[in-house]
Amino acid sequence: MASKPKPPQMALHKVIMVGSGGVGKSALTLQFMYDEFVEDYEPTKADSYRKKVVLDGEEVQIDILDTAGQEDYAAIRDNYFRSGEGFLCVFSITEQESFAATADFREQILRVKNDENIPFLLVGNKCDLFDKRQVTIETATAKAGEWNVPYVETSAKTRQNVDKVFFDLMCEIRDRKKEETAKPDGKKNKKTKKEGKRKKKCVIL
Amino acid sequence: MTAIRHTLQKDVFLPHDERLLGVVHVSKAGKKKKVSFLCAAASTEKPVQVSIVNVKKSDKGDTYKRRQTWELRELKLVDGRDDTKESPEFDLHFEKSYKWVASNVAEKSAFISCLWKLCQRYLIKKRPDFVNVNPQLLEEAVQVGELTRTLPQGGEDVVDEEYQVLTAQEEADLEKLISQCDFAVSNAEAFTEQLSKDLSMLDGANIHSIMASEEQVKNLMKLLEVSETEINRIEKRLERYEGLLEGVREQMEQMKGKDTLIQMQNTNYKKLLSTLDTLVGQLDLSPGHVKALQEGDLSNPSHILDCTSAAEALQQAMGVQLHPGLCKMQAVREQQKMFEKLRSSFARRLAAHLNSVFVQQGHEMSETLSHHALEPTLPKHYSAHRDLMPYAELMLWLKGADITSFHQLAQVYTSNLKRLYEREIKDFFEAAKAILGTKPSAVDSKKFGKLMGSTESLGKSSGSKMRSSSLLDIADHKGSNPDITDRAKFERVLNSIMSELEPVCMVEQDFIIKFFHLSSDSTATDVGSDEEDQIEEGVVDANGGMFSKGHTERQTEKQVSSEVRRMMSDLFGTMEPELHNFINFADKMDPYNSMYMLVKISAVVMGMEEKDAGSYLATTLATSVVIVKRNFDKLIQAKIQSIEEIKVPKNKRCGILPFVSSFEEFAELAETIFKGSERRADLDKAYGRMVRTIFDNVERVGLEHQKTPQDVVLFENYHHLNAVFARLKITCLETEKKEARHKYKQHLDAYVINWLGHPMEKLNHFFEGIEARVAQGVKAEEVGYQLAFSKQELRKVIKEYPMKEVKKGLDSLYKKVEKHLCEEENLNQVVWRSMQEEFISQYKHFEDLIKRCYPESGITLEFTITDILQFFSDIAQSH
Repeated sequence: MASKPKPPQMALHKVIMVGSGGVGKSALTLQFMYDEFVEDYEPTKADSYRKKVVLDGEEVQIDILDTAGQEDYAAIRDNYFRSGEGFLCVFSITEQESFAATADFREQILRVKNDENIPFLLVGNKCDLFDKRQVTIETATAKAGEWNVPYVETSAKTRQNVDKVFFDLMCEIRDRKKEETAKPDGKKNKKTKKEGKRKKKCVIL
Repeated sequence: MTAIRHTLQKDVFLPHDERLLGVVHVSKAGKKKKVSFLCAAASTEKPVQVSIVNVKKSDKGDTYKRRQTWELRELKLVDGRDDTKESPEFDLHFEKSYKWVASNVAEKSAFISCLWKLCQRYLIKKRPDFVNVNPQLLEEAVQVGELTRTLPQGGEDVVDEEYQVLTAQEEADLEKLISQCDFAVSNAEAFTEQLSKDLSMLDGANIHSIMASEEQVKNLMKLLEVSETEINRIEKRLERYEGLLEGVREQMEQMKGKDTLIQMQNTNYKKLLSTLDTLVGQLDLSPGHVKALQEGDLSNPSHILDCTSAAEALQQAMGVQLHPGLCKMQAVREQQKMFEKLRSSFARRLAAHLNSVFVQQGHEMSETLSHHALEPTLPKHYSAHRDLMPYAELMLWLKGADITSFHQLAQVYTSNLKRLYEREIKDFFEAAKAILGTKPSAVDSKKFGKLMGSTESLGKSSGSKMRSSSLLDIADHKGSNPDITDRAKFERVLNSIMSELEPVCMVEQDFIIKFFHLSSDSTATDVGSDEEDQIEEGVVDANGGMFSKGHTERQTEKQVSSEVRRMMSDLFGTMEPELHNFINFADKMDPYNSMYMLVKISAVVMGMEEKDAGSYLATTLATSVVIVKRNFDKLIQAKIQSIEEIKVPKNKRCGILPFVSSFEEFAELAETIFKGSERRADLDKAYGRMVRTIFDNVERVGLEHQKTPQDVVLFENYHHLNAVFARLKITCLETEKKEARHKYKQHLDAYVINWLGHPMEKLNHFFEGIEARVAQGVKAEEVGYQLAFSKQELRKVIKEYPMKEVKKGLDSLYKKVEKHLCEEENLNQVVWRSMQEEFISQYKHFEDLIKRCYPESGITLEFTITDILQFFSDIAQSH
């Protein structure tokens, strides 16, 4: 517990939070990081977090880049999308527009990363506000199926599934990295990779 | 009626100096309703004035008013109107006639008789006539009047009475006498003669009868004489009787006196008997007891019990309070002498026996002492205590019987056991140190050995400053896994030390309190079988928790006397220095250990506070806490010093400063150690000092660092600190957390603004100049007419930044940012995003200024927003 991190030894997974403004990206991040729920809304520009977690018995670090939902120019995102290894694409189940926007985000991510199978989770947040729901589970699940990504509903307020989305994503990232080290020329084959290979399930600790 | 009378007297007449003599309740004849009182009153002053007053009761309330007043002498006639039959009516005639109806006949009669009386008394000349009044009433009134005359306050009542009325009787007799002589009136002379003739006849007859009675007088005299002699005789006889009675009384008195004497004697005998009884009972010691005292085997438990009861009996017999007189008795004195002898001989015997027991125990226990390898343990003395406990009561007896040998025994015990404890405690701490000093596994033994080596040499050679700081560095920065296991091990060893020390100390303390009967409110009276039960309990619990053992027994002895403390400090003299020695040893091994010790020992002391305030262990541990606290303060001070003395790395980029991550480590460890501890406040204070120092030194390093811009040093470290505070949720550092967050943002922005100036430096300067002019008051449209800011100049500057140039500039800026920032804090993306945003807004600002200051000039920058965004995308793709 008192030992210092040894970067070369500990795996580092870079996660990017994307999604429209006000859907709860920062709330999810803070809940995951510090177990706290912040009621006041203050638009994020960008902030970075780092945490040590135990993933399937292995200590790893997670870097979370919490990004701005409101951005005048989408191109500004290119750079940090580029740096991400996995994405939590968040929308609010109480806001149809935020769900529609996920498509744009995904498109941009795929373009920037140039990778169909980049680790990616579609996250419907604010599921505690079920009486204000505008996006049905079916719609969201259908969209996720279309993209061939998992869909998870979360609540940053009640902490429901908060750990799950981060850990699921980290598992995917880790598995991807393993595959890539297995074949050094993995980059070239990315697009041709079979989807079935990503079906590996994760265990949350 | 008396009430009314009283009221009238008080309310109506007293104010006029009058006295109410008679009252009648009347109404005017004919008018029934109007009720009033007729009163007869006399003035209290002389000459007496009598008046008749009509008093009326006022309609409202109880006040009375005089309505009419007449003088008594004005009264001419009183008409009773009842010569034939009784009636309540009557009339009074003054200047005119008043008719009254009394409320009843009795009242009327009383009133009339009163009036009559008054008339008789006060009116001499002209008395009113009383008609139709029952003459009896008037006569009666006269008689009654004579009697009651004294009733009105006396003195004045001796009224002149020269005239006397002929009574009716005399009148009748006179009349009868006159009627016998018809001629009496006509011929007075004859009548007189007749009368004198009668008189002389009567005289003669009188003398005759007197003479005749002389004989009879003589007879009477004779009779009287006879009766006198008779009386004398009777008197004499009575005298004799009296004499007889006197004799009887004297005899009776004598008998009574004798009887009381006999009784007194009797009770005295009884008292003497009972006194002797109790004396013998109290002073008697059964032969069995004597035997037990003389030859009872002190190593045999049942004999000890016999001895105990015998000693008790002896004590009791000796302690009996005797009358001083009784003590003079030969037998008593002999008995007491015998007791004395018994006592001293038994005391000697007991002392000698116990003495040998103590010495033996001291030896035996040290022989059985063994070294345990895994956990440091202190040998328990339960069995020794159990062996000794049966003597507890005898010790109490000895304390009373022979205080010097009692003290000697205590001394022998202390000196023997002291040596034993000394050795045990020393071994115990040596064992603890040895455990801390050995490696559990061979892994990493080289490094550990080095660490141990340095600490050991430190321990010996009083530790130079250089060395200690190097040791600190090891503890601070090496941060290897063995640290963790070492700390866990240390915590374990510390816990076991505490849990070993407490029962041993407390049990020993309890034992000496009970055995040497030291506590003031001695519970010795009922020390018996339950004593041993408690000891048994102690044995069972000793291996369990620290606080679980025998609460009940300790509650009885709230205050531990100074005597106990003195004895304990004799017995455990080595504990304090050994404990302090250990504390310092542990501190030198790893200064962080002080934190464990501070928390643990404080908790133990706090935990004991309630029950064992002032117990030897509590005071010893309390002083230890002071030392530990000092070590803790030293640790914090050393940390602060190491922060202050840190050298700025010259040729590397700065990144997260070592003391920032070291603080994170420290805080993490401290949080786990201090969780829920009473010592939290100390930690919070230390935090406050450390964080302040860290902030100050982050600023210092920021200034001094040559490779990395100041802002980067600041915002990276503040970002990290903010994350640490947020993660550990240290409540006392809430303001520091906010401050760190605020400074992070502030310096991030400053960095972005500062370094964005670089890609288009000249353009930047140019527009800054324009803005300055506008700010000075030059109109926006007129700026272009100034030489330095003419359109030509603008075009020139714009020309210097074609698309290619800008792209190159942004590229190199990106690279610079990458170079400045460290990997660890991962703020590249954050900074770059901010730069992109700022760059775009700068571009827009330039465009806007051109539009405002050079309207319709058609000048634009050589690149568009789309171009910029494309640059950004390209930069993104190229990394």
